[in-house]
Amino acid sequence: MAAALEARGLRKCYTAAPAVSEVTFGLHAGEVLGCLGANGAGKSTIVKMLTGLSEPTRGQVLSFGVSIHKDLVAYRRRLGYVPEEPELYAYLSGWEYLEMVGTLRGMERAQMTKKIDALLALFSLAPYRHSSIGSYSKGMRQRILLIAALLHDPEILILDEPLSGLDVVSAMIVKSLIKTLGEHGKAIFYCSHVLEVVEKVCSHVMILSKGKVIAYAPTTELHRMVGQGSLEQAFVHLVADRDAEQTASEIVEVMSAGAA
Amino acid sequence: MDSVKQHWERLSHGPFLRLMRHCVDRIFSGSEGAEPGELDLSIATILALLTTPGAFISLFCMDHYGSLILFLRGQSVRFDPYAASAGDEYFFIVLAMVVAGAVAVWKWDRLVPDRRDYSNLAPLPISSSRIFLANLAALSVLAVVLSLDVNAAAAFLFPLVVCAQETPQVFEVFFATHTLTIVAASAFGFLAVFALLGTFMALLPYRVFRKTSIYARCAIVFVLMALFTTSFSVPRKMQHLGHVPRAWAHLPPPAWFLGLCQVLRGQKSAAWTSLGGAAIVGLLCVLLVSLVTYSLCYARCFVQSAETMANLPAGRAARASMVFRLLDALLLRSAFQRACYRFAFRTIFRSEEQAFAIGGFLSLGIVLASQTMLSAMNKKPLPTMSGAVPSPEILSVPLIVGFFLILGLSSACAIPAPLRANWVFRFHINSRSRECVPLARKIVLTFVVPALAICLPVYSHFWGWRVGMTHTALVAVWCVLLMEGLLARFRKIPFTCSLPKFKSHVIVSALLLILGYFAFTSVTATVESWALADPLWFIAFVPVVLGFSVVLYRWRNTMIDSDRHLLFEEQSITVVEVLNLGS
Repeated sequence: MAAALEARGLRKCYTAAPAVSEVTFGLHAGEVLGCLGANGAGKSTIVKMLTGLSEPTRGQVLSFGVSIHKDLVAYRRRLGYVPEEPELYAYLSGWEYLEMVGTLRGMERAQMTKKIDALLALFSLAPYRHSSIGSYSKGMRQRILLIAALLHDPEILILDEPLSGLDVVSAMIVKSLIKTLGEHGKAIFYCSHVLEVVEKVCSHVMILSKGKVIAYAPTTELHRMVGQGSLEQAFVHLVADRDAEQTASEIVEVMSAGAA
Repeated sequence: MDSVKQHWERLSHGPFLRLMRHCVDRIFSGSEGAEPGELDLSIATILALLTTPGAFISLFCMDHYGSLILFLRGQSVRFDPYAASAGDEYFFIVLAMVVAGAVAVWKWDRLVPDRRDYSNLAPLPISSSRIFLANLAALSVLAVVLSLDVNAAAAFLFPLVVCAQETPQVFEVFFATHTLTIVAASAFGFLAVFALLGTFMALLPYRVFRKTSIYARCAIVFVLMALFTTSFSVPRKMQHLGHVPRAWAHLPPPAWFLGLCQVLRGQKSAAWTSLGGAAIVGLLCVLLVSLVTYSLCYARCFVQSAETMANLPAGRAARASMVFRLLDALLLRSAFQRACYRFAFRTIFRSEEQAFAIGGFLSLGIVLASQTMLSAMNKKPLPTMSGAVPSPEILSVPLIVGFFLILGLSSACAIPAPLRANWVFRFHINSRSRECVPLARKIVLTFVVPALAICLPVYSHFWGWRVGMTHTALVAVWCVLLMEGLLARFRKIPFTCSLPKFKSHVIVSALLLILGYFAFTSVTATVESWALADPLWFIAFVPVVLGFSVVLYRWRNTMIDSDRHLLFEEQSITVVEVLNLGS
């Protein structure tokens, strides 16, 4: 069975040095692929290419064996996307924003309204659905984005830091949700900085460094392959170019310099 | 000298002055900094732009006062500078007041510290009173700098132009009185708007203020426009003021400052003294109200931010949902149109930049239309029986309103709402969609049709059904042609594309707009009045309509496929483009 989402030799150049180089992976239905990397590793660039918002300089993105650029509209009908930054129109209410997204997706009105109301209630946003997004906290905006991505029951989900700004309870709900969606046959591409969450919810992990894939394996096997005790240790071993404890000591030294 | 320098450096890096600098920067910068594709004006650019109108107009005044030009016209080169310049003096007062007031309206939401300032400053070890005083000092500096900057060029150039042939003493008096008057007028304009802002903020609940401030600002823009147009009629009336102050002369605030100027120049008639007194009282009143309301607003909106931020109000569903559903059934046929129409409608009424653009154009249109109508009614009262033909001025009134409304809407469509948020449209919409023009058309018609719907009953009432229906039909056709012309190559979802780059032919575009305005309103109305008297003249409209339609059709057909794709980012056309063929 063809992969729900597949990247083949992806390369993206903004300047002479490539931002992303030779990235290849496959994501099947029921899998949750975690993408880890430091800042500037190329995660957001890959996400933009997977969503079709940016075209690769070289390589292909395929969905069920077909290039997504052959029919981007049809691909995005099957796709739900949560961007890293919750850029929303502050003067629209949460309900109005979701109505706009549902209408853009061509959803039937009665069903769309029912789903929006139900999801708003489940994400604890029902009392504030008519307040302007400008008055929402970061966590509330993130929940609006999550609802917008789930509204049309997508087959593929691309989530870029979906837990950012969420409170503990909401974060627990979303983590359980991701696992449940995976069990229901959705293909999920999950970008994050938070290793513990990736370890818990993802079936596979891909680690990026300087635009290249340096590790790609099932979560349970990755740290064993690298000879480390945990995913965190594996990540530090593969990616980190600074000693965290050393850097922390230097920060404290700078802070206390000049104090009386 | 070194110790003075060191002292200044210590002072300028001290917390109070640093805080004051922060307040000044905050007033001039955008809320999150300019987004890519948005207009970003630095303080220096803004100040430079504000000083140019006064400079240009002063130079144009040479036409009235230049001795060589007067000599070539056969006019006397000797004149009383105080009497001769009263009309232009009034104009400079209006200009100073309107520009300063417009800046206050533009920066309305940056003048008083808000919740974002509270989040950043409250955790620091700075007392609330220090923030209060620093912002007050910043506002005072802003008011002074603005008053001086707006009038800097005019303060020197206008006296030089008027008093070129006068003695140095006359020049000095003229210069001093002119400068003092226009600076005072600027300060009045700025403080009057600030006093209004403070009053609204102090009296209304915060949520109500946030929702209604945009309408208040549009209303103030309308008033400033109306004030501007008084410079064409009031000076003539002021010349016949005589010695007895008239009630109407006290209405426009610029008249008060003209009175002040004349009093300072020794023209101490009862009329001028009364007006001069009103200027001083007015200035003191707006200063006092500004101070009081600023203190109240600070205490209410800034100091209590922590409490108000914690309580997120529930809000209410917008009442327009029934209207949208009706429009879905009648007008909006596709998912794209339904979603984008709702988005555009809400943006127009809730987003400040777009509301201002439309409000500004519409205000100008209404003011010009009112002036035209009043001037026509002064010449000839409205008829009381049908059969008569309206004058070209009366016929041009709905054309003027339609012109500015359509221009305002199409200009506003090019102004982006927060640009980074347009990812939702990039993601969900097919870039090959060709529904942008039908969508924009429906948005424009939503506003134009109701505005012009009053044409038929009004003209029919005064001039009969024949005139009413003919005129309404002509106005409708002309508005449709204008709309189609402006939207011919429109390929954006309104408010989602970056601003077009500054183009070198903007001056030509402005000239074409002015010519277009006269052709659309005056010329059309004149030909129509002939046609209503002699119907054969209607034939003159046929080639215009047909020719325009053919040109538009052909122009649209010359667009290649890629030129019809949705645009989210304006790109400048480069003369040389580097192709990256290596990768």
